[in-house]
Amino acid sequence: MNSMRLSTILLAAITALVAILLYSPLFVPIVSSFFVINHGQADWSTPTLSAYIALTENTDVLAALRATLIVGLCTVVLSVVCGTLLALYYHSHRAGGGALQFIVFLPFLMPPVISGLALLIFFREINFDRSLVTIVIGHTIFVLAIVYRTILTRLQSVSRTLVEASYDLGANGWQTFWRVILPNLSSAMAGGAILAFALSFDETMITILVTGTQSTLPVRLWAMMRLGFSPDINALVALVLLFTVLLCGLTARFLIPKQVAGFHG
Amino acid sequence: MNGRSGRYQALVTLLAFALPVFFIVAPLLMFLAYSFFSVDHGEINYTLTVANYVRFFTEPVFLPIFWSTCVLCLSVSVICVLLGYPAAYFLTTLHGRWRYIMLMMLMVPLLMSYVIKIYAIRSILGQSGFLNTMLVGLGILEKPSSLFVFNMNAILLTLTLLLIPFAILPIFLALERIPQVLLRASADLGASSIQTFMRITLPLSVPGVASATSFVFVLAIGDFLTPQMVGGVNGFTFGRILYSQFGTAFNWPFGAALSVALAVVVIAAILAGERFGRQKGLPR
Repeated sequence: MNSMRLSTILLAAITALVAILLYSPLFVPIVSSFFVINHGQADWSTPTLSAYIALTENTDVLAALRATLIVGLCTVVLSVVCGTLLALYYHSHRAGGGALQFIVFLPFLMPPVISGLALLIFFREINFDRSLVTIVIGHTIFVLAIVYRTILTRLQSVSRTLVEASYDLGANGWQTFWRVILPNLSSAMAGGAILAFALSFDETMITILVTGTQSTLPVRLWAMMRLGFSPDINALVALVLLFTVLLCGLTARFLIPKQVAGFHG
Repeated sequence: MNGRSGRYQALVTLLAFALPVFFIVAPLLMFLAYSFFSVDHGEINYTLTVANYVRFFTEPVFLPIFWSTCVLCLSVSVICVLLGYPAAYFLTTLHGRWRYIMLMMLMVPLLMSYVIKIYAIRSILGQSGFLNTMLVGLGILEKPSSLFVFNMNAILLTLTLLLIPFAILPIFLALERIPQVLLRASADLGASSIQTFMRITLPLSVPGVASATSFVFVLAIGDFLTPQMVGGVNGFTFGRILYSQFGTAFNWPFGAALSVALAVVVIAAILAGERFGRQKGLPR
């Protein structure tokens, strides 16, 4: 029994180490956002909110933030609509469902650099100027697989008997869809939407390749970091992380109960 | 089925395929075609040629970097699995909701900004960074070392920190699927906990380890931002060379050919993961 206890303690210690490794890169910018940094050396004596105040005057970053939100919302709408339609198509056992599913999964399985470069060449060949629109397209094909999968999983768990009951009671195909199937899909769609937004919010590798003059926050940060940047970026980082934690909490609320049930069943 | 409903079905199929084919298949095919073109004075020459592939295999720069990148990414996968396995195992020893709360805790960093994490890790690994300060403080190093940043070590460490969660999840799912009755039966038959682990748990978790290795490898090899950020001049990876063909070097067709090489490795890794990652004889 003693060796059991010892091994549990050892396992717990390794898990703690992993957690520290995972969280330390997140805490560094948060902590330093509350202090003044002079010549690369932080002044730990006096905490201050000056970085946060400076941030509100950084128009570059605020414009990038706005672009990110616009791109994220467009991506969510497009990917949820397409994902739902494709899931319905696959679920109704029509021609080529398997092939379609394979195509949808491709950009998610392939490294993002390949999807991004393929789109870059594609837009050039069809003479389509790079802009926020091309970023939205890039993000949508990237997150589509996840949204599609989330909705399809729920669709497959909507009981066949519910649909049959609806038809038995005289509803036609559309009524059954609007009144029975769609309400059952709504929480999966919401979960998929949040996941899509979170992925789009952070997507860097495809974005960097298909971006035009106007870009999203991660790409803007990327450009700034290569030069070394002002302390207000730490403040922004802290706020972005806080926002992401909120998103994670929301995602968990919509998706986890179902997954927990899935783990056992 | 009459002609009209047949046409309607065909129209639905056509509509379903339209966007995915236009925005996913067409760009990928065009990309593949590009790898057979060439560049002439900054203009794309559309005559088909295999020169790009010949160049990749014959010029002495590309293959060695290609292999060293594969080895680097494989090392990242192995380290991630070595750290992720004990953590995943620990999670399965927890009961009830704590198990999922802890799992969530270890997954949350995945959704945090990628660029910010790379930047933070670089500042931790740097000369005046936390790691050096700590090692000097503990008396392990005499003075701050530049071993941890702007070289291959830095890329290895950074990718590992970024990708550990992708190793934990599949291993956790595989471990969780192992029926508890098997472990109890093993204990009843007199096996020690080490014997049970070696003969039951470990073999049954191999599929999870395979998926984890393949996930991490694919994500690591496709990454060109991390090497660019922490690699400096000494940490040159395949992803960086590939990316530079679309920037400074401006040779898109050659870049496309390099991407095809990358895609081949990725597909091989995914297939290998799939082959060994399938659970045999266990309830899904």
